[in-house]
Amino acid sequence: MATRVEQPHVPAWQRGKVASWLVTVDHKRIGILYIGTAGLFFAISGFLALLIRTQLTSPDNTLITGNSYNEVVTMHGTGMVFFVMVPVLAGLANFIVPLQIGAPDMAFPRLNALSYWLYAFAGLVFCASFLASGGAANTGWTAYPPLSLEAVGNGQDLWILSIHILTLSSAFGAINFIVTIHNMRTRGMSWMRIPLFVWSVEVYAWLLLLVLPVLSAGLTMLLLERQFPDTFHFFRPEGVDRGGSPVLFQHVFWFFGHPEVYIMILPVFGIISEVIPVFARKPIFGYKAVAFSTVAIGFFSMLVWAHHMFAVGMPTFLNIWFMLASMVIAVPTGMKIFNWLATLWRGNISLDTPMLFALGFLSVFTIGGLSGIYLAAFPVDWQVTDTYFVVAHFHYVLFGGSMLGLLGGLYYWWPKMFGRFLSERLGKWSFLLIFVGFNITFFPQHLLGLLGMPRRIYTYRHDGLWEAYNITSSIGSYIMGVGFLLFLLAIVKSVNGRRAGNDPWQGDTLEWYTTSPPPPHNFDDVPYVTSARPLYDLRRRLRESESSA
Amino acid sequence: MRPKLLVIAGVLVTPLVTAATALAGNGGFAPVAPESPNAQAIKQSYLFISLFAFAIFLLVEGILIAFVIRYRRRKRPREADGAQIHGANRLELAWTVGPVLILAVIATFVFVKLPTIQDVPASAATSQNLVVDVIGTQFTWQFRYPNGVVTIDRMRAPEGRTVELHITAPDWDVIHSWWIPALGGKMDAIPGKLNKTWFKASSVGVFQGQCAELCGLYHAKMLAAVEVMPAAEFDSWYEERRAQQEAGTSPLGEELWGGTCAKCHGLDGEGGYGPRVAGTDLIKNTQSIEALLRKGGILMPPVGRDWTTAETNALTDYLKEHVGNQG
Repeated sequence: MATRVEQPHVPAWQRGKVASWLVTVDHKRIGILYIGTAGLFFAISGFLALLIRTQLTSPDNTLITGNSYNEVVTMHGTGMVFFVMVPVLAGLANFIVPLQIGAPDMAFPRLNALSYWLYAFAGLVFCASFLASGGAANTGWTAYPPLSLEAVGNGQDLWILSIHILTLSSAFGAINFIVTIHNMRTRGMSWMRIPLFVWSVEVYAWLLLLVLPVLSAGLTMLLLERQFPDTFHFFRPEGVDRGGSPVLFQHVFWFFGHPEVYIMILPVFGIISEVIPVFARKPIFGYKAVAFSTVAIGFFSMLVWAHHMFAVGMPTFLNIWFMLASMVIAVPTGMKIFNWLATLWRGNISLDTPMLFALGFLSVFTIGGLSGIYLAAFPVDWQVTDTYFVVAHFHYVLFGGSMLGLLGGLYYWWPKMFGRFLSERLGKWSFLLIFVGFNITFFPQHLLGLLGMPRRIYTYRHDGLWEAYNITSSIGSYIMGVGFLLFLLAIVKSVNGRRAGNDPWQGDTLEWYTTSPPPPHNFDDVPYVTSARPLYDLRRRLRESESSA
Repeated sequence: MRPKLLVIAGVLVTPLVTAATALAGNGGFAPVAPESPNAQAIKQSYLFISLFAFAIFLLVEGILIAFVIRYRRRKRPREADGAQIHGANRLELAWTVGPVLILAVIATFVFVKLPTIQDVPASAATSQNLVVDVIGTQFTWQFRYPNGVVTIDRMRAPEGRTVELHITAPDWDVIHSWWIPALGGKMDAIPGKLNKTWFKASSVGVFQGQCAELCGLYHAKMLAAVEVMPAAEFDSWYEERRAQQEAGTSPLGEELWGGTCAKCHGLDGEGGYGPRVAGTDLIKNTQSIEALLRKGGILMPPVGRDWTTAETNALTDYLKEHVGNQG
């Protein structure tokens, strides 16, 4: 059966253990490279987060203050958003999407490799920002001018360049995903039969393609005005005839920035929509609703950007528009939550680690969604915006949501990627520590924000509650840190872990049809797809033929 | 097995602890006690949204926990199918329309409250609105009153009288955000843009706040306070301060020193982020100080570029007397 595939000739110098990874165009290896590199950036950005929490254990700490603190905050945020979440999802999608649609690789394997290497290069430029004269970028991940125009040294410029390179990487990747999903689905896999993870990657890719050029434009303007302040006046209002506007940058940035949030969460919704049915032994409840709500969220995410800017003094009609549009997004998001809950109903639920992370995701993402309603209602937003309430909100969405879901996805697909299980025991303990630590870290931050603590400050008011909540939050972050060390330990130990067969979780989608790990060409043959659950159908037919025989 | 139970216990205990703390007092579970009608209406909106948010929270987490317990595997084989249900249109319609209705109710409530929050009460014959210009600069708030009085970082305001705030930042500065939680929401101070908000303090006291938009090195130290005084006391302070300022005896110089200079040069001019200035020749030379304030130095921003002569004079006088002689 395997005779159809001819191995291409590989020159000797490319066959080495290291060299073969450097020249690879195999989507699985590129996916693993992405995930590994993102893991490295997670370690850096996570360490910065722990520095922040350590500084804030007491209002008088002098560990990192002033500009150093601003640098750490900026690099933590930028690192997590641009160099961890977006690329790690690109990596996971790289590995899984071709397998799930029964394709031998991505549509453009070499473009795929280019995407990865641009990402790695962007990461180097980003790290170089730390070494720049004047230190790393220190104006927040949002880099609002005029502050980012004022920033001395080249840290800010390297920051801009690194993200420029990254936007190219992501745009190429997005094109590749779209072409792959549109053209390389196996026989029988119509749009209503593609796995929900693939649906979410489709929307993720379109969003990247639509909003990244806007960010690139904004960053180009910023770079030009920084380097040639006498020629370009986009954002600096100084002088009568030079009418730039600092608010313009915020519009440009958030037109990208809000969809970016969905870029980081939609593929995780996809992971959850894969994991919950498999561990509840049920089909997803309302496939079409889940698929179309993903598209709806993607569409509406481009109409709500200025809810990040309610305090800049916009006309009331705009405030009202952005409030109502933001509330509209809550509807498809709520649909998903209820559809996932309904998928649990009358199931046969196994609480393995991937499922624990998925259920943990469900419980805390709900809180992040609910706190979003306060931020959408603009008069209430005037009270809570730019405070720790917002910090808590987006960590509930992006850490409690994206990160927990992602960890679940890694636990779920690890056996497919490497042919071995991650330790269940370590997995459960790391879940417990991360989940509990997460809530201890971020729940009190809602309260700090309501008490009046703004974001991005290295010292705060001497006040019993402020100090109590801050120290609680810091303790929680250390608990999470231990949880991640256990996760790392599980990865290290998985080298000699229990071997996984082709289909260890009794999955429903095509990636479980091939071997673990899959061969370079993925499949020797692919069954004709007759529903959204080809492997479920296959198992059923097998049982029927056995019982009739 | 044990971690599972621990998680369930954790999920159950968290809201209980939360609720207990909430009952014990506002501890940050709602915005701080409002002292102005706009802050009051914001807090009401917050609490109104909380009704629904808390109910939905309990519903979702309740269903989640109940389903996980009720439908866990127990002794069934791992691969045994659950009920093969593919969906239910009516149910899905219900949880689409339900949230729409809830959001409509929330939006309506907020719109009803909006005028109270946003619209500046009109001046009455008996109680004219007081207009104060609020200017955010790195890392100081300047408050300019109609009669020329300038104060730094601490605004004085009369009780029970509407104070209109005209908020901006100089063209060469960066964005700041004005925020006194007890007196209403935030309003950004943006170079080249004039934003307006207001408050009408309902009681006497000092209300703390600070800059809420990252503005650089000492963003964390850009504090603000509003000292609300009984109306009569405010009126006399207002006149007295004007007279003092004209006579050169107001504390403005000291306020400028503390708010603008001391953050970098130290409270006694001993140096910090910026160089030591105490006892230097420069500090006694009024002309070079003025030039430095207006044009800036190598690293020093032109902090006094938009100051009134009253402010520059007040600072140079203070420097000569208090900082120049030290060291």
